[in-house]
Amino acid sequence: MKPLENRWYPYALLAPAFLVLVVVSLVPFLFAMFLSFHQINFGRIGDFAGWANYSKLMQDERTWNSLWVAAKFILIAFPLQFILGLGGALLLNKRVWGRSVILPLLFIPTMMAPIVVGLLWKVMFAGSWGLLSYNIVERFGFLQGSSVFSSPDYALIALALVDVWQWTPFMMLAFFAGLQALPVSPYRAAAVDGATPLQMFIRLTLPLMAPLMVVIGMLRFIDAFKVFDTIYTLTAGGPGTSTEVPSLLAYRMSFEQWRIGESAAFAVLVWIGFFILCSLFYHVAKKKLNAF
Amino acid sequence: MNQPAMSSPAATQGPIKRISRQERVSVVWTLVLVAIAFIVLFPVLWVGSFMFRPDSAMFARPTEWLFEPTLVHFRYVIENGFIGYLGTSFALASISTFLVVLLGTPAAYAFARFKLRFRDDLFLFVLATRMAPPICMVIPFYMIFSSIGLIDTYFGLTLAYLTFNLSFYIWVMSSFCRDLPVALEEVAILEGHSRFAVFLRVVLPLLRSAIVATGMLCFIFAWNEFMFAFMLGGQQVKTLPVAVPELITTQGVRWGPMAIVGTLSLVPVMIAVFLLQKHIVRGLTMGAVKG
Repeated sequence: MKPLENRWYPYALLAPAFLVLVVVSLVPFLFAMFLSFHQINFGRIGDFAGWANYSKLMQDERTWNSLWVAAKFILIAFPLQFILGLGGALLLNKRVWGRSVILPLLFIPTMMAPIVVGLLWKVMFAGSWGLLSYNIVERFGFLQGSSVFSSPDYALIALALVDVWQWTPFMMLAFFAGLQALPVSPYRAAAVDGATPLQMFIRLTLPLMAPLMVVIGMLRFIDAFKVFDTIYTLTAGGPGTSTEVPSLLAYRMSFEQWRIGESAAFAVLVWIGFFILCSLFYHVAKKKLNAF
Repeated sequence: MNQPAMSSPAATQGPIKRISRQERVSVVWTLVLVAIAFIVLFPVLWVGSFMFRPDSAMFARPTEWLFEPTLVHFRYVIENGFIGYLGTSFALASISTFLVVLLGTPAAYAFARFKLRFRDDLFLFVLATRMAPPICMVIPFYMIFSSIGLIDTYFGLTLAYLTFNLSFYIWVMSSFCRDLPVALEEVAILEGHSRFAVFLRVVLPLLRSAIVATGMLCFIFAWNEFMFAFMLGGQQVKTLPVAVPELITTQGVRWGPMAIVGTLSLVPVMIAVFLLQKHIVRGLTMGAVKG
């Protein structure tokens, strides 16, 4: 037995934190489950309802709409973030000056409060006088006099672009960290063999970076699925339900329409979905990156 | 006297050094990078200018790039209690971060160092707690809190903040703990120190900078948090992110004060990005990528 090991000591270290986590995480989850099987009228818990809340949820068009909206949102935002992020990382990886000043500045969109991100773009795209509304959207004839965020056709695209602005820097810096950690020797060998930079990128950089890309991609996917703050400030799910992602739907259902039972059922399902995604992330990251 | 024949060209040209091809290329890349950073940050700077921009210049068509600066928006911010919301945000973020560090550091160390039963399951539970969408948490929290009177209290919100921050902290800190060499601790044990003394005197000092970095990230997350503060807070406990959208009034939006408050909320973020740098990638990828 190693000198540090002990039967009860690690559990004593864990106990306080886990006690708290059980209270703030497991209890709410179980309570949401309890709520989802009951009839709830204006915040009062009524009779046992069986699967009624779940079946109502499944029959509601808005549920499926929200998943479709989220899918579109991710399909627009993610490829752009990925490509721009990778390009930016390759650029950062060149010999450049002042990297230690530029790097932190690039983190600002990712680290600032999402609610402020939303308001920032509300100003940029404000109807008629917003900098981008007046100088780009109106000039090129997309829309006249109103904000892109009130257009059923463009609102979701604009929201996805805001997400791109917010998260591309993160992708860029994560990929850059990966590039910095690449081994040098394969590149030396390739250079000796007369490989072109493009060949090196395709044959060496991409395969060596692949595990990292998978892990970052999964993380971004999980995060993109739960976006709320920016959409809440910019469109609040509208116009109609055209930008109503699952988080927005759950919010509107529970705190605008007080359909608590159904939204608890929704929360439980989303929770289970996230748990599966998380364990996937955990096992992939553990295997591919030797993390954790 | 003859000039020494072997003087290098750089020396004969005095202060003007010869610029190699490689250096010229890196000037180009640097300029491209600066341009990108400028474009990315331009919206922040533009909206930042609203702090001093009179209302007449805000709504101008065509866009007015230059304007007579005014301080009237600052008066509005001070007179409408935003300094108080700033204090609330700061207090809440500090208290929850302090608790997270206190509870989380031993747990993270335990995860990193010891063989535990169900380690993977426990660890996954921590991760899932972090990753769950806040809206899923806020529905049960709201029901529980309103029945036991925790709505609009510091205690309630601190508790709610522990869900995402304690789990985050444990997860990322344990990736730092794994980087520590175990030998030091083993030697100290063999010298007869108790395990807990080793944790306090050997492990904690080595973890100091990791604790500061991860704790700072927790502070930022709490500082930026909106959903919990919005649904579980109220008039007594109102944080900055909740107060800002209230500037969208029925008489129109107060863009100037909004720019000021938004900029204020950016201050800790600016400090963090410059101090933390590489730790941010590690934090945001839950320790999977070591920045």
